[in-house]
Amino acid sequence: MNSALLALLLFAAPEAAPADLPACPSAEEKPDVKLLLKRTERVLEGRSSVAVMRMAIKTPAWERAVKMKIWSRGRDFTLVRVVEGGPRETGMMTLKREKQLWNYLPQAGRVMKLPSGMMGDSWMGSDFTNDDLVRGSSLVDDFDARFEKSVDHEGSPAWSITLTPHASASVVWGKIEMRIDRKSCMPVEQRFFDEDQQLARRMTYGDLQTIGWRTYPMKLTVTPADQGRQTVITYEHLELDVDVPDDTFSLRRLQQGKE
Amino acid sequence: MLLSMSWRNVWRNARRSIITMTALSFGVAGIVGMYSYRELTYGVMVRDITTGLVGHLQVHGKGYQDAPSIGTLVANPLQVEAVLQGALPGAKTERRVIGAGLAGSGDRSAPVMVLGVEPGATALYRMSAGQDFTGQPHEVLIGKDLATELDVGVGGELVLVSQGADGSVANDRYVVSGTFTSSSAELDGTAVALPLAEAQSFFALGEGVHQLVVRLPVDREDVGPEVNALRAALDVKTLEALSWTEMLPQMKASMDTKRRSQGVMDFVIFLIVGLGVFNAMTMAVFERTREFGVLASLGTRPSRILAMVMLEAFWQAGLAFVIGVSLAALGLYGWGTVDLSAMMQGDVMGVRMPTKLELGLDPRALGGAAFTAFFTAFAGAFFPALRAARLRPVEALRHT
Repeated sequence: MNSALLALLLFAAPEAAPADLPACPSAEEKPDVKLLLKRTERVLEGRSSVAVMRMAIKTPAWERAVKMKIWSRGRDFTLVRVVEGGPRETGMMTLKREKQLWNYLPQAGRVMKLPSGMMGDSWMGSDFTNDDLVRGSSLVDDFDARFEKSVDHEGSPAWSITLTPHASASVVWGKIEMRIDRKSCMPVEQRFFDEDQQLARRMTYGDLQTIGWRTYPMKLTVTPADQGRQTVITYEHLELDVDVPDDTFSLRRLQQGKE
Repeated sequence: MLLSMSWRNVWRNARRSIITMTALSFGVAGIVGMYSYRELTYGVMVRDITTGLVGHLQVHGKGYQDAPSIGTLVANPLQVEAVLQGALPGAKTERRVIGAGLAGSGDRSAPVMVLGVEPGATALYRMSAGQDFTGQPHEVLIGKDLATELDVGVGGELVLVSQGADGSVANDRYVVSGTFTSSSAELDGTAVALPLAEAQSFFALGEGVHQLVVRLPVDREDVGPEVNALRAALDVKTLEALSWTEMLPQMKASMDTKRRSQGVMDFVIFLIVGLGVFNAMTMAVFERTREFGVLASLGTRPSRILAMVMLEAFWQAGLAFVIGVSLAALGLYGWGTVDLSAMMQGDVMGVRMPTKLELGLDPRALGGAAFTAFFTAFAGAFFPALRAARLRPVEALRHT
């Protein structure tokens, strides 16, 4: 085998996971939850991302779908642009810079800042909140995690974890119950409880695919406690840990209606 | 003759009679005054409610009252209005759209209540600056306090965003034509009013509206018969009809509770006054034992003696009633206008309490007060009178 072929093989091989990524402790009955969540979040979010996703919303009154493109860098910067949707929302953008959120409204041709305290409200009528969309809170930083037990989730072994928000965290949930698949270390289900400890919604992760070194859930389904509603997000394209230019997240560009 | 005798008897011990009447008068004045004040306040509140935000009755899409949702509509309001005119002749109707949204101006934004109203037909607001709808496209009126919060004035730009009934992102840009005040501090602080058609297109409602507000040609609290007539005429499978007392149940309940506790107060006042009357009349009869003995021995029948003593009580009650009502009227009209604005900030159960109140006598207070005054005087006098009537002449004459 000559060196050129070897080089080709090496480059074609799957990208290696970063060295600082904790290993998936599949064998452990009772893993270190802090470490586990850190890993999960690192894999799911990456340092940055560019994605195209389709969001289908179903309610008793109506059904609709939009296609959107999302750019993100860390937890502080996110831009969402609706690329396909109804005439009033195509071109709508949501920009998150640190703690603040702005919407560009295409029909109005204006940018509106979202008042603080509305992070828990629905984004575009979906069952996702503004907070979900821009990943405003971190499971590792904003919650206390407690390992519950090993469970069987739809035929596969999983860990059950309970997350309660820190008193100081600006989180809209009272509690999150989470199940993480032991084999992939990916979440399979999250149950969100409101401040009165009532189940508010259930989020499931499905359609695991290999993206670079990651095994990534390409489909997210949110089913709120309200009957007859559901929102499904499917990734059509996803790149993680890529370079995103600085001015993507510029408020001035948003005001001009440019992505 | 009994009338004039009893009248004279009242003044035989003038001091005692005056004390009795004073007690009765103050009781009457208190009751009439408090009743008038309370009912006046309620009257203004009910008028604000029925002419303003709520109306006497409302028609909604079924289930709207319990769970207001942008998609729960009266789909064909004009047809329903026609049915309503048939069931309640003379009623005025107003179509309304109500939705929640977010309003922004410059860097500021705030959650708002978006109202679609029929320009010219609504009594919801009074302009405080700028002008009412002129028919130009994309005009809005906003509550005065909201204008301050958003730092936007007449001629300023307002961006609205919400969700349409079809799930779409409702968003548009408007020009503030004027600012208003209303019968509710909540509206002043959160409401944005659009012409009905603009609101219908903003929320993607078609012809549909959320509320048909009905105003009846009456001025009273209880509109139960009208609600029933309306329910009989409407298609109750898709629509609901509600009276204002059903829509603001706490309001009605609190008014009724206060009325009941006032009733208890009235009772206590007159129990005390009644005991005073009883005491005074007992003394009067006791002092005049010999006199009654003379009357009886002259052949006056016991029933006439009873009637005479009761008439004495009647005169006192009558005088006390006139004096009490005059006192109350003097107090109420003398006070004139009360300004409660310092005391009443904000709403009480969704409705602004009247800040300026023209005081006056409520005629409905008089009947109750008269009944109570006379009843109290009679009840206080009855047993002493009975005692006087039953005196045996011989024993009475010997009484010293």
